[in-house]
Amino acid sequence: MSRLYGDPIEVWARDGQPAQFVWRDRLYTVRQVQDHWVVAREWWKTSDADPGERRFWRVEAAAGRDVGTYELRFDTASGGWLLLRAWD
Amino acid sequence: MTPFTHLHVASAYSLRYGTAFPGALAQRAAEHGMDALALTDRDGLYGAIKHVQACHANGVAPIVGVDLALGPPSGEDDPARIVVLARSGGWAALCRLVTAAHHAGERGEPYVTPGMVAEHATGPGGEARLVVMLGPHSGVGRAMAEGRDDQARSLLLAWRSVVPDLVVELTDLYGYRDTNIATRMLGLARSADVPAVLTNAVRYLDSADHQVGNVLDAARKLVPLHSRHVDSPTAHAYLKDGQEMTRLAVRICGGDRDLAGRLLAENRRVADACVLDPVEIVPLLDEHDPRLHLPEIGEDPVPLLRHRCADGLIDRGLARSREARERLAAELEIIEKKRLSGYFISVAGITDMIRSMGIRCAIRGSGAGSLVNHLIGIGEVNPLDHGLLMERFLSEGRRGLPDIDVDVESARRLDCYRAILDRYGEARVACVSMMETYRARSALRDVGAAMGLPPHEIDAIAKAFPHVRAKQIRAAVSDLPELRDSGLNDRSLQTVFRLAEKLDGLPRHIALHPCGVLIGNSALRDRTPVERSLLDFPMSQFDKDDVEEAGMLKLDVLGVRMQSAMAYSLKEIERVDGRKIELDAVPHDDQATYDMIRTGRTLGCFQIESPGQRELVAKLEPRTMHDLIVDISLFRPGPVNSDMVTPYLEARHGYREPFYPHDRLKDALRETHGVVVFHEQVLKIIDVMTGQGLSFAEKMRRTLGTPAGREIVRSWFVPLAQENGFGDATIDKAWKVLDAFGGFGFCKAHAAAFALPTYQSAWLKRHHAAAFFAGVLTHEPGMYPNRVILDEARQCGVDILPLDVNHSGRDWLVERTRAAAPAPPGELRIEEIGRGYGLRVPFSAVKGVSAAEVDRMVAGRPYTSMADFWERARPSRPIAERIVEVGGFDALYGLRPGEPRWRPGEVTRRDLVAQVGTLDRASSAVPGQLPMGFTERVTPGELPEMTEAEAVEAELSVLGMDVSRHVIAFHEELLDAIGVTRSKDLLKNRNGAEILVAGVKVATQTPAVRSGQRVIFTTLDDSTGPVDLTFFESVQAHTAATVFGSWLLVARGVVRRTGARAVSLRALRCWNLADLDRLWRAEGIGAVRAVLDAPPPEGAGVGGRAIEYGNGFRLSPYSDIGPTPGVREGRIFGRPGEPQRRLWHASSGSSGPPPAR
Repeated sequence: MSRLYGDPIEVWARDGQPAQFVWRDRLYTVRQVQDHWVVAREWWKTSDADPGERRFWRVEAAAGRDVGTYELRFDTASGGWLLLRAWD
Repeated sequence: MTPFTHLHVASAYSLRYGTAFPGALAQRAAEHGMDALALTDRDGLYGAIKHVQACHANGVAPIVGVDLALGPPSGEDDPARIVVLARSGGWAALCRLVTAAHHAGERGEPYVTPGMVAEHATGPGGEARLVVMLGPHSGVGRAMAEGRDDQARSLLLAWRSVVPDLVVELTDLYGYRDTNIATRMLGLARSADVPAVLTNAVRYLDSADHQVGNVLDAARKLVPLHSRHVDSPTAHAYLKDGQEMTRLAVRICGGDRDLAGRLLAENRRVADACVLDPVEIVPLLDEHDPRLHLPEIGEDPVPLLRHRCADGLIDRGLARSREARERLAAELEIIEKKRLSGYFISVAGITDMIRSMGIRCAIRGSGAGSLVNHLIGIGEVNPLDHGLLMERFLSEGRRGLPDIDVDVESARRLDCYRAILDRYGEARVACVSMMETYRARSALRDVGAAMGLPPHEIDAIAKAFPHVRAKQIRAAVSDLPELRDSGLNDRSLQTVFRLAEKLDGLPRHIALHPCGVLIGNSALRDRTPVERSLLDFPMSQFDKDDVEEAGMLKLDVLGVRMQSAMAYSLKEIERVDGRKIELDAVPHDDQATYDMIRTGRTLGCFQIESPGQRELVAKLEPRTMHDLIVDISLFRPGPVNSDMVTPYLEARHGYREPFYPHDRLKDALRETHGVVVFHEQVLKIIDVMTGQGLSFAEKMRRTLGTPAGREIVRSWFVPLAQENGFGDATIDKAWKVLDAFGGFGFCKAHAAAFALPTYQSAWLKRHHAAAFFAGVLTHEPGMYPNRVILDEARQCGVDILPLDVNHSGRDWLVERTRAAAPAPPGELRIEEIGRGYGLRVPFSAVKGVSAAEVDRMVAGRPYTSMADFWERARPSRPIAERIVEVGGFDALYGLRPGEPRWRPGEVTRRDLVAQVGTLDRASSAVPGQLPMGFTERVTPGELPEMTEAEAVEAELSVLGMDVSRHVIAFHEELLDAIGVTRSKDLLKNRNGAEILVAGVKVATQTPAVRSGQRVIFTTLDDSTGPVDLTFFESVQAHTAATVFGSWLLVARGVVRRTGARAVSLRALRCWNLADLDRLWRAEGIGAVRAVLDAPPPEGAGVGGRAIEYGNGFRLSPYSDIGPTPGVREGRIFGRPGEPQRRLWHASSGSSGPPPAR
């Protein structure tokens, strides 16, 4: 079962993909990108000319020996990352 | 590494779907280093020709396909879609498949079935002609997305069994699960042994265009924007470069680079198999020997045309003319060299057929310059009589195909189309289409709806704008005073405006071209896809430019309303006076006709009725057909702007010596006093100066259109003229003439073709005024609404007869009202020319009346009573009431609106309206008939009679015109009190006098003028004649909203004498007469005077940069566009009290085609 979080996190990217991230004071290393997709923002609901898009990654990552699957989200307009959900 | 090829690309010609034009896509592909590019528009090949041309120009190999819906439609979900590419040599199969798809579906909703695709996909020898691609939107892809892998597999196998060249299309737009689906489709393809390719389902040039794509999705589906209605939720469907596509391939292949390499290699294989030969599809890319698509004649057309021309020489009495024989030989040489003999034979066959149907038919345009056209009976104009040149029509050096244009009666244009289709069959002929593109109003409507604005607000906003381009919306809001203060500057509308601007110029829907007919052979449908037009005509998906580029010949059959109007007038003259007039035989030198034209009383006449033209004819004072040809040629934006008019008029009236750069140029320039007016003169000047012949001259003339072209021409012209023995000073002078006027002249052949109906219409007005107006009112050929024409008829002495159930007909009828007075000799008296005749308002003028009702009303005459009319004509209740209100029963019951209002014992119009209600209740409530006695009974005098003002009000709302009295008559007391000058007294004012005028607005135009300003020309009608007002930009800040938004106007202006008998006013102020009237009634004359004397409010004028042309003439960006009907009193919402129907002229007011072509 997955759990929803929505916590802001810090992410280090390599080649345009997340490589490592810190969540709840633990460092996770991305072992594999399982899925990646993009959703354009509903620009017609905002007054911004271009509200950007949200990029989602579903990754397998490990913190020490604990391996789990995590969904990360990057918002191009704010430049911020969130950890959306985790299967651990 | 071999470059990637995009195999699935939608351009803007995927209507309300794509956002990029083929040219931009091909250019981008070339920039990405790609050597081939496909165009696979939705539902048609609308952009195919442009794509092939663009690829050719960018050094990219063209591939063409189509993105089609699978049918038949289920009515629920979006249909599944497949992409079909033409393999090399499969172009004809693709065209035929698209035609079949449109034939199968409803109009606008074409579809194919696997069976139809299979039928076209294989050639007779079993070779594959089409490639079918099944992508994520196909049934296979959808089954995959829904996890029904077995179903996907069986669908794929079913396709494979019927289509020889099948591929699976993988697409990954970074949407949720896109990669997953693509990966599984790749697996399916491999296990079924079907090749797979990678595409990007392109619909944008850049990813930023996705907002436009979202709006188009909403507009296409007629829903507000919502993530549910958006086709591609990401912004990735753009023309990606090869590197990005390789990354996608690796992603789909799960990082396996080998597998990705094989996927991309398959792309390459398919691309190579589908590359088309550009010249085969667009023969005109081969400049030297284009392979044209020529009509079949059944025998060798060359001797046939020669024989027909030889016969023509005898029939036209030209057999002995050496000039004619030499000209004929020269023309035939070019025609035969270009292998066009069959085209001329075909066109002659069509014009013969049209005339044999009794339809008026005249040649127009440059085709009138060809003697062959004259000899074989296509046109009546003899080019030798007017010095017209064939080279303007067809010449050796000219790229492209000749275009013969004929004018027919507009009311019978479709009859002509049907006859042509019947004779040649749908396999050989088709109509030409045209793309309607987004302009400001349509863009605002679609964006407004997508953004969820309420419909009435969208309507008000859209109508507030003049007919500008969509990309000018925000500029117009800040530039134009009438918009600036209208509440459109609201911030909430900014997003709507920004997006509407982005739709600028995108194709919106396809429509039947107003005149083009393709004349082909039995292979026509191998070369163009054909769909049905709204009226069910077969219509090519190519526009007129594409058709020509594709090497197909066409004939333009233009419907001209004036031809219908004149045909109707002639019938009325014959019916009423028993005189049969042969209009084409009327002599062209009738002084009475020219006298009328010279006074500017040309309202209703062809080509010379606009305010600007009335001013020009009054200055030019035409006395011959040639003068009319010059007049028509001068009234174009180019000549007006480059100020050819003034030197011509000065020389014509002898204020200035004509200027000729050299004696040898006198021949060419004498007819227009040294001013270059005609294209033909440009050709002659170049020919004389360079000695290179007329074909060369025509090529040079075409190059003169642009500043760069002028430099090129100069570099040819000067040395050639020097070689030809002309001195530098002469060359310099001749060049100056060409440089100034060369780009703007008008084709004399065209003007000559126009001048004839112009003269004929003026002749009819002068000598048969009532019949002339009956034709004009019935067919509405001109720019003015009928109430203006009716008022002109009244001023010409024609009696206006009200609607009468026993005398009115379907259309406007002429009646003898008294013995016609013999025309008095001497000066023209305009109020005499229509004496003795009346015009009867027809049933068809009643608002909302149906054709079937009119038929019954006409057939049932005469009627003995209201009940009798109700019984036999069976009108609907509102129609019956309207007929009573405008006096349709006045004669029958002896009614008369006006005082006294209460008339005990006498029937009134209101009594009859009440009776309509009784009759309606009686016939709906009781089955069967009530006894006649009951419904016949009217209680006379129960209700008051209408006043005269109420009667006119009813006429305006029901008929759209004031029949019984002029509407201005109700304001005479006020107008006298403030000292308004009437139109008939304008001539008594000295130049420069400041006066007040008033009237009903009949026309507003903003044509191109020399200064580069937006100048508003407005014509008022005050029942004694027209008053022409000019509003310059300096006064528009406080006048524009009133001018555009009011119907009854009072204006203050300065008198300008523009000709011996013509006056116009430079306007300073204006007011809405209805407002002044209210003020007068409420507060008295003092308050009105105070308003008239108050200084104008402050405000900025018109903004916007003038468009500057190469030779220095400037054009306002808002010239030559329609006014803004929605703007009233500075608010965007209309006032309900204003008349609902179109009462004043609101067309684009164009004075001709834009210059510099």
